[in-house]
Amino acid sequence: MAGKMGMSLEEGISVSKKKIICEGVSKIYIQKGVQKVHVLDQIDLEVGENEFVVILGPGQSGKSTLLRIVAGLESATAGRVLLDGKEVRRPAPDRGLVFQRYTLFPWKTVLGNVEMGPKLRGIPKKKRRETAAHYIHLVGLDGFENAYPHQLSGGMKQRVGIARAYANNPEVMLLDEPFGQLDAQTRYFMEKETVRIWETEKRTVLFVTNNIDEAIYLGDRIITLEGKLPGRKKSTYSVALPRPREHTDAAFLQLRHRIIEETQLLL
Amino acid sequence: MKEPGRATGRNSFRFLPAVFKNRFFLYGISILSFLILWDLIAVLKVFGAFMPRPEEVVRYLGLMMVDPLAGRTLPLHLWASLQRVFIGFAVSVLIGVPVGLFMALNPYFNAIVKPVFDLLKPMPPISWISLAILWFGIGETSKVFIIIIGAIVPCIINSFNGIRLVDPELYDVVRMLGGNRRQEIWQVTLPAAFPAIFAGIQISLSVAWTCVLAAELVGAPEWMGFIIILGMNLSRPAMIIGGMVVIALTAWLLAVAVGWLERWVCPWKREFQ
Repeated sequence: MAGKMGMSLEEGISVSKKKIICEGVSKIYIQKGVQKVHVLDQIDLEVGENEFVVILGPGQSGKSTLLRIVAGLESATAGRVLLDGKEVRRPAPDRGLVFQRYTLFPWKTVLGNVEMGPKLRGIPKKKRRETAAHYIHLVGLDGFENAYPHQLSGGMKQRVGIARAYANNPEVMLLDEPFGQLDAQTRYFMEKETVRIWETEKRTVLFVTNNIDEAIYLGDRIITLEGKLPGRKKSTYSVALPRPREHTDAAFLQLRHRIIEETQLLL
Repeated sequence: MKEPGRATGRNSFRFLPAVFKNRFFLYGISILSFLILWDLIAVLKVFGAFMPRPEEVVRYLGLMMVDPLAGRTLPLHLWASLQRVFIGFAVSVLIGVPVGLFMALNPYFNAIVKPVFDLLKPMPPISWISLAILWFGIGETSKVFIIIIGAIVPCIINSFNGIRLVDPELYDVVRMLGGNRRQEIWQVTLPAAFPAIFAGIQISLSVAWTCVLAAELVGAPEWMGFIIILGMNLSRPAMIIGGMVVIALTAWLLAVAVGWLERWVCPWKREFQ
């Protein structure tokens, strides 16, 4: 079905270099030594350089696990993940991860949180302050440098999370349902901000969500997963809409309708 | 005022003048009613003749400030007790916190230390008094020893639990940002556990005060416990209560000081004060 519209996976990324490649990634958890949970089954995917790819699936479809494997926080039971042709084995600062629960350091100010990456890598104070200030400005938090996380709203916290990931100048950005805890209005606003930030500083993005509107609004390409474990790739959609997109646009709604129809998921 | 009959919380007291909602005014009311109740109990002789009125206690405190008891005035007795509390407390923190941290960070160390610790932990510090006298005599060492026995426990437990309860995702954050194991400990474990460790230190301080009285039963010519015992022997309840008041006030002042210290070293916790 995807091919019929002339938007196949291969065509979608043929123009650019392949940044992330997942080859037959499977994950089986073994609980209490015997009981196995099959979370991911033979996932193949490719993300081109500076491409914004969204993995769309309902809860319990293994999408967060896939992202954690790409991040290097978990290892695949079978298959492998390549980043720039090198196999991913452990976490590293070339991948910036934005967490669903904001996971800011509560004892650090906004500035302290954002400069944490450069600090851990031993960048001198003056340099990392400049970097942090740049990304605090990029995410629109000027004036909040010295605020502590508990003084910020959910949307602002996640801006800090995005700035913190960016401040390490990663090759790819991985976002794990970053706006899942926000109210609808803030979420919509943060999606707009995500597009603005991404267009200002292009990165390869792998974005995980369970929200179909978010997926269509953000992605160059959407990869849907099946709605039950083990997570399997269902289909791929290219989103050929110009940005900024409108949720009420006819083509937007058409694609939304098509994805819902084809995936048979209540998204 | 908008929805009559649906007022909740502080709104239900809106007919009261503003002064009744002032926190410090209410504190004053609380203390005053306590003193009045106390005076009534004394005047009505609920506990016989051995209940002094508040003003007698105050008078007695004033007397003890200038008149030496067993060669020392009240501030000197208090100073002797304070010194013991501080020494015992400091030793407890210096040993207890690192032990608790190390137990949480190293499973082997934990496996070796924890069974013994769990066995000794529930023993009341007072039960060590007799042994302490046999081991260290009736000098300073045995008193400080009793304080350490009591005060070290919250330091160990809170440091241990503080680390065990650190949000594990924060470690993922540091690892993703390029941190190594050493940085995980310095940048996540210790700062994240700090409020819990500090709470343990606060509990330790109050336990040290509780223990100092027990420790001073070991015997010494100058101590707050001595004043209370002497008051009993001389049948002077005003002296006993005076001693109790001084101990309570000192412990309270110390707790306030530690609270301020915490706000200074954990500014990110300010909101929860």
